Amino acid sequence: MIPLRSDISLIVDGLHRLNTRPLSVMEVCGTHTVSIFRSGIRSLLPPDLRLVSGPGCPVCVTDQGEIDAALSLVERGAIVATYGDMLKVPCDRGSLASKRSEGYDVAIVTSAMDVAALAEKHPDREVVFLAVGFETTSPATAALVKEAEQRGLSNLSVLSLHKRTPPVLAVLAGDPGLKISGFLLPGHVCVILGHEPFSFLPRDCGLPSVIAGFEGEQILLGLAEILRQYSRGESSLASVYGRAVRPEGNEKARTLLDEVFVSRSAPWRGIGVIPDSGYALAERYGVFDAERRFSLTIEPGKSLPGCRCGDVLTGKITPPDCPLFRMACTPLSPVGPCMVSSEGTCGAYFRFYKGDS
Amino acid sequence: MKTTTVTLGHGSGGRQSAELVRFLVEGFMTRGIGPELEDAALLPGGYAMTVDGFTVMPRKFPGGDLGHLAVCGCANDLAVRGASPDYLGLSLVIEEGFPLDELKDYMESAAATCAAIGMTLAAGDTKVVPAGGVEGVLFSGCAFGKVHSPFPLGIGNLREGDILIVSGPIGRHGAAIASARFSLEVEGLESDCAPLWPAVRPLLSLGGLRCMRDCTRGGLGTVLCEWAEGSGLSIALEEEAIPIELQVQSLCDVLGFDPLYMACEGTLALAVAPEDGQKALSLLKESAIGRNAAVIGQVSGGEPKGMVSMRTSIGGERLVDMPWGELLPRIC
Repeated sequence: MIPLRSDISLIVDGLHRLNTRPLSVMEVCGTHTVSIFRSGIRSLLPPDLRLVSGPGCPVCVTDQGEIDAALSLVERGAIVATYGDMLKVPCDRGSLASKRSEGYDVAIVTSAMDVAALAEKHPDREVVFLAVGFETTSPATAALVKEAEQRGLSNLSVLSLHKRTPPVLAVLAGDPGLKISGFLLPGHVCVILGHEPFSFLPRDCGLPSVIAGFEGEQILLGLAEILRQYSRGESSLASVYGRAVRPEGNEKARTLLDEVFVSRSAPWRGIGVIPDSGYALAERYGVFDAERRFSLTIEPGKSLPGCRCGDVLTGKITPPDCPLFRMACTPLSPVGPCMVSSEGTCGAYFRFYKGDS
Repeated sequence: MKTTTVTLGHGSGGRQSAELVRFLVEGFMTRGIGPELEDAALLPGGYAMTVDGFTVMPRKFPGGDLGHLAVCGCANDLAVRGASPDYLGLSLVIEEGFPLDELKDYMESAAATCAAIGMTLAAGDTKVVPAGGVEGVLFSGCAFGKVHSPFPLGIGNLREGDILIVSGPIGRHGAAIASARFSLEVEGLESDCAPLWPAVRPLLSLGGLRCMRDCTRGGLGTVLCEWAEGSGLSIALEEEAIPIELQVQSLCDVLGFDPLYMACEGTLALAVAPEDGQKALSLLKESAIGRNAAVIGQVSGGEPKGMVSMRTSIGGERLVDMPWGELLPRIC
């Protein structure tokens, strides 16, 4: 339902009343970042309320070394299947898109299960699913692995680059260089995980944290709740996305994750290696693990010269502060991953932000 | 050009496509014999001409097929410059092994569309290439028609205060193709592929008509950005006024696309002087493709110059830019 304008203006009035001193709120999720731009939310906010974009775009946090590993798989003759916006993510020797234009086999899928069909269609080829994303896409990968086992698809494997959200937020919340007063938590991730994995943010770090949906109105409501808590000196985990997020999350999806994956340390582009922040296939499903099948070792990549995606992903700078932004780094020839994805912070700034508006 | 090879981004209809075209026609431009880069060229003697190529995949899609699309694509380029779709030339490059029945189907549907709008097939050519030479079949069309507008329509006519109208819900062709390509079936989602001439003809009597565009590749967003850049004026849109079908919106939400940039094949954008705005709208609403036509914004002399801004449904302001590169579905 489209909210009435008067509802919106009430929320906006509330934001202006509650915002009495300079505050920064991090929206963690890339979909939030884009929605904030698309709905023009910044133009409605009080001047002292700053929104900082976090590391919640799966493409953007995929490390150079991980892309390098994927390229080596296509070069070795495998069909690599992945989600569309992974294609343009560069490492120092190209991207999947550049490999595709050289004639290598790269397939775009919109759901993990499409990979099973692809493997069935090419029984004589190795088909590798380059699995990226947070807790929102990892259950689908888990389901694919189980399906592959059931159908006996021995030519299918998964290169799991999946990342877990709570550990990276713990790193950010504990970063003294980062002045964040509250978190707008990713609605879709919370649909799966529920409230508990994020409860440490208000409890241990004293940060108001609000789960919000992706419509402009819900984002405004979430921000108002953060300001309300802040103005009263409170910090709790609240949700303004009750229609989709149950406090206990989606038990079925979590069981699937627990069964198929184990957590492991993972490299985050620009941030570094974070313990327990990635998902690897559990021993029981090791036969579908592309790292094992192709004896891959993923080395954390070197950062690209001049690229400040790490500082953008941790909210320390905004994209226009990066010397490459709009100059050497554009959506047509992205240097860093934040420019690649439609949900990347730099890409969003490039498309929607032309100055102080 | 920043790259040494052609990429799929060059085919997406946005800024990169414009770069490719400029790169390719440079030699003509420098010799003073280049095109004016509108949908169709106005030729001496009161005629208009256009050329277009068609490689849609899948070739049969909800709401049309390759043959229907080829005729509509060519005819619509003429229509938006005020010319009737009179003559068509078709060139087919066919891959060895292509089923004759299927080819005949496309020609049948092309013939039916031509007949419906009074267009004659005046010339044609076929080439057959060995398997692998092309993927299936490529259609190229060239169309020629008499200009009926009393003055040339084009970006140069845009003035501060002009009203912007779109003839119907946007993004339907792009969404229908994406749904077929990514196997996401959406009930009731159909391409808008249709000839524009019957809707355009009555509009040509309006003295205040400024320019029209067929919102094909790159969608409505790209057309309006080109208008703003080309005129140096600012364009202000009202998000809530832009007609978008629920099916198109939901498909775009799933894939991470913006309906503003999704292709249309039977939807036009037009700018008209304020005094003729209501007349243009009611004329459009009387036509088969224009029942849901809507005023979506206005040309202004204010800031930001040469850009498109939009008042969003929650009352915020944002900019609308041209799409960059190939549209790829996002992850989550």
